[in-house]
Amino acid sequence: MKYSEKMVADLYKELLSVRMAEEKLVEIYALGKVPGHIHSGVGEEAAYIAPLMTRNENDYYKGTHRVVSAVHATGVTFNEIFAEILAKETGTSHGRGGVNHIARMDKGVIGTAGSLGVDTEVAIGAALSAKYLENGRIVYCYNGDGTHSRGNVHEAMNMAAIWKLPVLFICDDNQFAISANHANTISVPNPGADRAAGYGMPARVVHGDDALAVYDAAKELTDYIRAGNGPAVLEVKCYRWRGHFEGDQCAYRDKEITEEEHKKDCVANLEKYVLDNGILNAEDIELMRREIALELDQAVEFAETSPEPDPDSIFDGLYA
Amino acid sequence: MKESFAQAISAAISEEMRRDDTVLVYGEDVAEMGGIFCATKGILEEFGPKRCISTPISEGAIVGSAIGAAMTGLRPCVELMYSDFQLVAFNELFHSCGKWRYLHGEGYRLPLVVRCASGYSFGAGAEHSNTFECLFNHAPGLTIITPSNVYDAKGLLKAAIRSDNPVLFFEHKQLYKTKMEIPEEDYVLPIGKADIKRQGTDVTVIAVGLMVQKALEAADKLAAEGISCEVLDPRTIAPFDKEAALQSVSKTHRCVIVEESNLRGGLGAEWASMIQEEIFDELDAPVKRVASLDVPLPYNLGLEARAVPNPDKIVAAVKALF
Repeated sequence: MKYSEKMVADLYKELLSVRMAEEKLVEIYALGKVPGHIHSGVGEEAAYIAPLMTRNENDYYKGTHRVVSAVHATGVTFNEIFAEILAKETGTSHGRGGVNHIARMDKGVIGTAGSLGVDTEVAIGAALSAKYLENGRIVYCYNGDGTHSRGNVHEAMNMAAIWKLPVLFICDDNQFAISANHANTISVPNPGADRAAGYGMPARVVHGDDALAVYDAAKELTDYIRAGNGPAVLEVKCYRWRGHFEGDQCAYRDKEITEEEHKKDCVANLEKYVLDNGILNAEDIELMRREIALELDQAVEFAETSPEPDPDSIFDGLYA
Repeated sequence: MKESFAQAISAAISEEMRRDDTVLVYGEDVAEMGGIFCATKGILEEFGPKRCISTPISEGAIVGSAIGAAMTGLRPCVELMYSDFQLVAFNELFHSCGKWRYLHGEGYRLPLVVRCASGYSFGAGAEHSNTFECLFNHAPGLTIITPSNVYDAKGLLKAAIRSDNPVLFFEHKQLYKTKMEIPEEDYVLPIGKADIKRQGTDVTVIAVGLMVQKALEAADKLAAEGISCEVLDPRTIAPFDKEAALQSVSKTHRCVIVEESNLRGGLGAEWASMIQEEIFDELDAPVKRVASLDVPLPYNLGLEARAVPNPDKIVAAVKALF
């Protein structure tokens, strides 16, 4: 077999964990437990998790506002993630950052921007330091297709190419920039990959319903990057199963297409693979589901029972 | 040793690069050209292309990447050429530089300096002449430094490079060629401390950057008329040395604030408001502001001169308080 059983089992477990975490976020949002907004990443998990399976321990991760729980794959716990989303003192930034600003420098998680695109520039800065300090780290920099219309992304990709920085730019193309679809707002079919040639970078396009295909492409490109060849682009074709934010009724798109797209399910597809290849059996998976469900319930309980930040601590962490 | 302001900037960076391998310089035309105002001259020659890099014209990526480099172990000192171009990177400066340490929790350091040439310089026009401290003063989290002479520039830039907080460093174009005797040995000035540039008893003139020189000229003229001016140079716009300002105004009981940016929404508005809120009873007259007129700075030199503050305008503002 092409892959080690352990890698595939780990990938499946993480994919399932993040799927269930994203579903849990939707659930607790509906119950009114989240003070801010949730941009559910259900359906797009493989675009995030499969590349991260090629990650070395000290590599950097720059995520997005969608599939926020993917940060779990870097070692940040669900307790910390849910506590930050519920704005509690025990969150990664003690309730100051929220869902869009989960960061943990000791895990290589450099944070994300509320104004999308800026953080792509930040990500190439982490790659600049990796190259400068010769520490062998690379950067996994995720963006959505919508963010690729921001000038910051162009500036960052151009500079990364000129300086041959160790960055994998991953474009999660979920077809929608809030309500705006490709046909009206993006000049090429693949906003990440088609433009890569303009920066002299290699690119691969894969479908996000096939986690192993995403892994293969990410492995090929990260090997290329680790060899010192400079940045590369991985574009993962997905479909945003839910609204831009929870509460978005998606009146701007065809429900039948959405239902059809739900059948392209990265978790179900990998589940079939692990069963067919005898990597896991149905009992293993059932046990795994129960364990993850318990972990998530405990994370929500941890977050709910955690203290609020002390109002008198409002200026902590501000230096000017 | 007599050095120019531009030489002091370059010397400050070079000295910090010698003592700390993680300091690097990049930005627009900083390497081979040595900066369009020669403020990074000699750095490429001494430190090589790994530590001194000319970038594409990409202010967003210059600042954004400096943030990423700073949080992962480097101390970038970057240049955007004209401060006017800070607006191209406004998002990066206002949101990311200013807020990310606060938003992303402890363990997050942002030791970076963004240098810019600011201020009017005789016909540079409306989009190459701005002083934007007032815009960024609205952004919590940013350290803002504006030196008014060669000595302060060197000591404050070294402090900025050693700081773990992001610093915007404004260098006035008209100051680059000015010269001053400064110490040869290493010295660092404190961030957040104002400096009394001239002692006085009748009125406090708070002035920023090049305007400190204008205020000192005005103070000479006013001395001849029997008015003793205290000229206070905040040096650090944020954090502002409130204590020094309140102490001085409590002594003189009058205050004029001089800045080069236009009046509306400027630093003077903020500081005058703060002074009247804190020590209203100490004031013998309203706090006066001298600033540029609320107009895009015209290209024509006569119109430009009309727009910006000068010693005579400061003299008139001071006299109006008596």
